[in-house]
Amino acid sequence: MADKSNILDQVLAQRQRVAGRLEEIKRIVAIMSGKGGVGKSALTANLAAALGMRGWAVGVLDADIHGPSAAAMLGARGQGVAMGMEGALPAIGMADVRVMSMDLFLEDDNTPVNWQHPGGLASDTFVWRGTLEANVLREFLGDTDWGALDYLLIDMPPGADRFETLMRIAPELSGALVVTIPSQVSHLVVRRAIQSARQAGAPLLGLVENMAGLADIEGETIQELFPEIGAEAFATEMEIAYLGRIPFDPRLARTTDAGRPFVLSYGNTPTGRAILALVQKLEEVLR
Amino acid sequence: MKFLCNDCERVMEFVENTPSEGGGSMAIRYACPNCERSISMITNTGETQVVRSLGVTIGHEAIHAAPEPMAMIRGALAGQRTVLTASDGPEPEWTEAALKRLAAAPVFVQGMVRRLYGDYARQKGYAEITPAIMSEAREALGMTEM
Repeated sequence: MADKSNILDQVLAQRQRVAGRLEEIKRIVAIMSGKGGVGKSALTANLAAALGMRGWAVGVLDADIHGPSAAAMLGARGQGVAMGMEGALPAIGMADVRVMSMDLFLEDDNTPVNWQHPGGLASDTFVWRGTLEANVLREFLGDTDWGALDYLLIDMPPGADRFETLMRIAPELSGALVVTIPSQVSHLVVRRAIQSARQAGAPLLGLVENMAGLADIEGETIQELFPEIGAEAFATEMEIAYLGRIPFDPRLARTTDAGRPFVLSYGNTPTGRAILALVQKLEEVLR
Repeated sequence: MKFLCNDCERVMEFVENTPSEGGGSMAIRYACPNCERSISMITNTGETQVVRSLGVTIGHEAIHAAPEPMAMIRGALAGQRTVLTASDGPEPEWTEAALKRLAAAPVFVQGMVRRLYGDYARQKGYAEITPAIMSEAREALGMTEM
């Protein structure tokens, strides 16, 4: 007598598919914060584009299921997902960055991420939504034909819960890059996210301070945007490497909206140089 | 979950599970290995959905099912766009003139443009991509800068 569904075997096969796919990926980096609105996604898009321009094969997995933005920021919207012989083909964004995002599946700009609940009550969805969305992450990792990659960057959503899921699905994670902004509230949330990532067993690559000042478009000066509160000291306290500060440049907002990562056009500006310096540090850490 | 046959004091064994029409519940049958007495447990919608949310197929639908890429997302997501499949046609060939024109674009957009024009040509059923088809695709896709 056998289980016709072979549910256990199916789950094991899923894990093997993910493991097989990840064998072709040399480095997997999660870009996380815990806090929303710190510029994780724009930073991910810029890091990916910069790595791509430096000759690396790069993919971006948009783990923000309900607020997907990676495809838009990398100019990959409108391509959709195509099914190939080896899996789902990721969209191709700027600098040849391969992108997988929930955005690519949605019918149009007005369609939110909603899950069907056949035969059930809409009020029951809370029972299974978390499991299902964890499996979206698994399918993105295991069913995407990423090909051979030097770097897969995972743009994590706000909150720390999805990080533990990621660690369970992809224990091969090379490490997490933690993003904060100069704000006590941000540090409070990021502090908890760091502890959560540690508890999940994630190697922490370092802390980067985003929106650290406002870059003058005309020159090289950096004005204060938020009060200086000492991210370097915060990193020391949290026993995590401090990887630098990235000032905000208003053109970054425009280029991000246009789907053309800032570093591709403005690499030789204070913000562009800070992003490129971060890329070099990541390359060194993950050599 | 396990069940005991009280008469035989043996743990019942799983026999089969049968999904209801619409997939809202499952009937999971167990039988005593000694006396063959059987019982069926009917799952409620929540339990069924928890199993489905694992991204597995259930019951008869699983017997010959090969795993499709993104099967769970495509099966559960409401409001999806059309997904291109391999059966929509092979990758069109790029003519030399088309490749030359592609090479004139900034290097960081070339891969993206190639994919967009390739998908456009497949959807239109074109076997090859020429500069004329690139112009047609550019207009159709609203890519005025490329």
